[in-house]
Amino acid sequence: MSEEEKHILEPQRWVELYGDYLFNYAIVRVNDQEKAEDLVQETFLAGLKAKDNFQGKSTERTWLISILKRKVIDTYRKQYASKESSMGEFEQEISDGDFYRSEGPFKGHWMEGKGPHSHSLMPEGELEQVELMKIIQLCISHLPPNLASVFVMKMIDEAESEEVCKELGITPSNLWVMLHRARLKMRQCIESKWLK
Amino acid sequence: MSRRMIACDEASFLISYRHENRLGFKRWWQLQMHLLTCHLCRKYARQIDQLNNAVKHYSESCSHDTCQHHLPEEASVKIRHALSKELNAK
Repeated sequence: MSEEEKHILEPQRWVELYGDYLFNYAIVRVNDQEKAEDLVQETFLAGLKAKDNFQGKSTERTWLISILKRKVIDTYRKQYASKESSMGEFEQEISDGDFYRSEGPFKGHWMEGKGPHSHSLMPEGELEQVELMKIIQLCISHLPPNLASVFVMKMIDEAESEEVCKELGITPSNLWVMLHRARLKMRQCIESKWLK
Repeated sequence: MSRRMIACDEASFLISYRHENRLGFKRWWQLQMHLLTCHLCRKYARQIDQLNNAVKHYSESCSHDTCQHHLPEEASVKIRHALSKELNAK
């Protein structure tokens, strides 16, 4: 594409052109259909409002995604803000009590059934790869919301740790503990789906 | 150097932590010593590697439209309506 060629916006065609694409982006990150639909609508409306700021440097789609990305992060922030009122619950979610033995000579060791069983988490065949992708999505949706937001920002968006901490208002040590918790749960969830 | 042995809770935390961070020598050593003696955590470490790779694959495949979710028709109509209302107001 030549440098002079500028992208233009065609809001009349947004739903048709980008509806599915934005919806995909949103649902992977918020795991709630209704919420994802709302985010798509809010993105288009915000895009319309900010239309004059569009400089045509990026494509229409990239520009809309950048608006949606911001909105997804705002959703996460709201989840955290509402958590502040119930810090006890938050603490409980990051404690390890339900995975390791909390007393006895084997304190700190895996609790029966909470550690890994199978040799491999991953299926061999190609068809099963598709199945695995579905399982990953399902398992992300089973994570508690605050663990899910950390997991998605870090693992799917590959955001910098500083950015995640800043956006969510958590400390780096919170972040690493939560990411660890999310992985514990994801591993367990995926394994249990295969064993079924 | 600490000779304290760590248990599975700390070891599994370090297994996760080392994916994004460098372990200092002390923590690295503690983890190696634990992994030598604990087959469950060895398995855990392998599975966490697999999990990280699979999630990477998942996010890539989603950005290439292969894990297709469609905006439901009903929502699509609603959004079109909201957009055109906004457009006509201008």
